[in-house]
Amino acid sequence: MAYSEKVIEHYENPKNVGTLDQDDPSVGTGLVGAPACGDVMRLQIKVGEDGVIEDARFKTFGCGSAIASSSLATEWLKGKSLDEAGEIKNSHIAEELSLPPVKIHCSVLAEDAIKSAIEDFRRKREARRALQGDAPPAEPERAEARV
Amino acid sequence: MPEPAPPDPFSLLGLEPVFRLDEAVLEARHRELAAALHPDRHHAEAPRARRQALGAAIEVNAAFRQLRDPVRRAEALLVRRGWAVAAGSEPRPAPELLMDVMEQREALAVARRARDRASLERLTRGMVEREAALVDRLGELLDEPAAEAHADAALRALVELRYTRRFLDEVRAIEDELD
Repeated sequence: MAYSEKVIEHYENPKNVGTLDQDDPSVGTGLVGAPACGDVMRLQIKVGEDGVIEDARFKTFGCGSAIASSSLATEWLKGKSLDEAGEIKNSHIAEELSLPPVKIHCSVLAEDAIKSAIEDFRRKREARRALQGDAPPAEPERAEARV
Repeated sequence: MPEPAPPDPFSLLGLEPVFRLDEAVLEARHRELAAALHPDRHHAEAPRARRQALGAAIEVNAAFRQLRDPVRRAEALLVRRGWAVAAGSEPRPAPELLMDVMEQREALAVARRARDRASLERLTRGMVEREAALVDRLGELLDEPAAEAHADAALRALVELRYTRRFLDEVRAIEDELD
């Protein structure tokens, strides 16, 4: 099967390959996989105080289209707000890369990864806020532990 | 446009639809059918009959290849039982599996860059063992009398088997590269 030029460009020269610290509270991680083919894709975003995505990284073990889809996704994510990022659709990715029908699932995987990274970041942020807001849940526990 | 469903490979070869197939029986049945359908035995017949024999021979070969491969054999059983409508309709891989696969693939990538054959062998051995365990497990899940109760577990084991398969495909590619 012939890959489009854009797929080959991303495959040979992928943008933003790498890892961000998963435990950093400003980082959201999406880890997704395709059950049919055994591809695995990790996509991470780093979100600034202003809610804008400062950095995005990916690591994908899969075919050229899966690598290209995640590479393109990280390029598109930088500089977007979380809401804007959530609007990226697999059809946009598939169109930009001219993916053939049998490779559409690779762009679906990339959209899943974006959504999952955003969700992870929001979940971490909510948990942090809850912790800061609802005063002292840690104190009584520690008191009990001392008894 | 959806392709027409291929014929069920078990019926085509006249075999009992089980996961733990006797490989010798599978091979013997394929040999018999392939010999009976061989073009040399039909060359004196009308073109229509010759075409039919050739078409049947192609289907028999495809069914044999499908049943010989544990992944595709499990898929055929799941489709036959109506537990999976098509490849890819399985549940999403569990996060633990994905995390594990990501770690293993990263370790493999490191071994490849370092041309570290010892690590490559160790990773491969682990994955081969895992593949064998999954094939055993699929046999247990798919062949027992109350198998419907394990449909979900069987689908998950199949997904994991595909990940081990992909890993081992990658190992072979790396071995070719290092040789």
